[in-house]
Amino acid sequence: MAAVVEAAPQIHLAHVEKTYPNGTVALRDVTLDIPKQDFVFLVGPSGAGKSTLVRLLIREEKVTAGTIQVEGQDLSRLKRRHLPYLRRKIGMVFQDFKLLPNLTVFQNVAFALRVTEGALRHLKPKVEEVLSIVGLEGKETKFPEQLSGGEQQRVAIARALVHDPRIFLADEPTGNLDPATSWEIIQLLLQINARGTTVMMATHNREIVDVMRRRVVAIEGGQIVRDEDAGGYHAPALESH
Amino acid sequence: MHRLWNRIDFAFSSAWQNFWRNAAVSVASVLIVWVVLLALGSLLLVLHSLDQIVALEKTKASAISVYLADTTPLSSAMDFKLHLENDPRVTDVTYVSKDQAMARFRQLPALDPSVIDTLGTNPLPASLDVTVKDIRDLAAIDQEVRNSPLVDKSPSTNYEPNVIDKIILLARVAGIAGLVLIIGLTGLSVFIIMLTIRTAIYLRRKEIEVMKLVGATDWFVRWPFIVEGLIVGVAGAAVAVLIVGFGYRPAVINLQSVLIFVPLAFDPVYLRIVLAAMLGFGLLLGSVGSYLGVRRFLKQ
Repeated sequence: MAAVVEAAPQIHLAHVEKTYPNGTVALRDVTLDIPKQDFVFLVGPSGAGKSTLVRLLIREEKVTAGTIQVEGQDLSRLKRRHLPYLRRKIGMVFQDFKLLPNLTVFQNVAFALRVTEGALRHLKPKVEEVLSIVGLEGKETKFPEQLSGGEQQRVAIARALVHDPRIFLADEPTGNLDPATSWEIIQLLLQINARGTTVMMATHNREIVDVMRRRVVAIEGGQIVRDEDAGGYHAPALESH
Repeated sequence: MHRLWNRIDFAFSSAWQNFWRNAAVSVASVLIVWVVLLALGSLLLVLHSLDQIVALEKTKASAISVYLADTTPLSSAMDFKLHLENDPRVTDVTYVSKDQAMARFRQLPALDPSVIDTLGTNPLPASLDVTVKDIRDLAAIDQEVRNSPLVDKSPSTNYEPNVIDKIILLARVAGIAGLVLIIGLTGLSVFIIMLTIRTAIYLRRKEIEVMKLVGATDWFVRWPFIVEGLIVGVAGAAVAVLIVGFGYRPAVINLQSVLIFVPLAFDPVYLRIVLAAMLGFGLLLGSVGSYLGVRRFLKQ
């Protein structure tokens, strides 16, 4: 480890508990620090609490106990009217892309700027810029249904990038994609990370995690069971089997 | 400026799309707003007309016309006039001849003069118009003059003690019934607008999800639906305003020709107030309905 004294982590979770109103305990005593520019895989079986963690980070859900700080902001004290400004700092992509089928590629990306009242004079160059980052030049006028799954996820990534987010959260981004396409998406996330953005990716994709040898946080039964730099999908002891 | 324009442009274009995307529900809510406002406008105008009638009847209340028999000679009529003028309760007595009565009758609005001409003879009696100091004395004077042989028997006077009370009662009943109807319809229309907005929100749920995800503010998400409610309110109001605005005058003229002796009048100043109130109420219905539609939603 480099002997550099880290500034306050960009994402800081301390003793986070999450119990849903129906009594399901999704997370218990989760403590986790993620510094700027980190690249983290969040792994674990279905229902382990990965998605809950992601939803807490964009405050789609509130913690039951404990604290979460993102960019120094305590999310449980964040007023509802300030929530949109937090979300503009966080880019999000999902397994199901969440594109609007009646809008073109260009319009889907521009939509994110338009509804957040970004400066409209810079709309076109900004959309073109992020579309070229994800490699979709020339597809601006296509509709989502005319694109492959990988291309649709690229549009979603481009949309998540228009606000120059400091944090990029990906919830199973390769869940619907074939292996080759999945690798393309991972390359893109690495590029985004290389530009200085913190990336956290929740995934089931064992092959990718094992090959990448990045930081791995494993969750099981709502608890962090492993947090390794340059880790694999499974714990080393299990991998030897 | 750019941002404000963007917000307005987005709200209006989305609202317009919403309106037509679920056209059937939108048209239903426009119709109910229209019905409410038509009822409101009509009620206000009817009550105003009744008010006009009451006001006029009240000014007439301190006077009665004593109809003289056609057989009464002018000299006897003048003696009778003098007798009444000497009564301490009476302030003024005016003699109205048969010809004068006919001349007055001809001046009534919406009366076809040719109808009168076909009568040939003048059926109207001469009269003594008696004004009293205190309207409570009218009944006694009415009783006294009826006994005079000089006075016509059918009818003797135009004394109708209950007419004002009856009109006031009618206005009160019409007002309460109309109010109950309008309150009921108002509740119904707010509910239907709310359903319209909920439908629009349901149809746009994917967009709303994306908007919130990328950091749109609550009000940016809400405005299109509020504007849609206002469009419903204005559209319903516009139709009702046109009907009442253009229908009031012909309605008054038609009623005047049927109810010859009722002093109805067209009041353009009051009409303008009623139309403005209808438009305002339409906007209120639209905004309340759509606010209720978006209120529960968008809160997590």
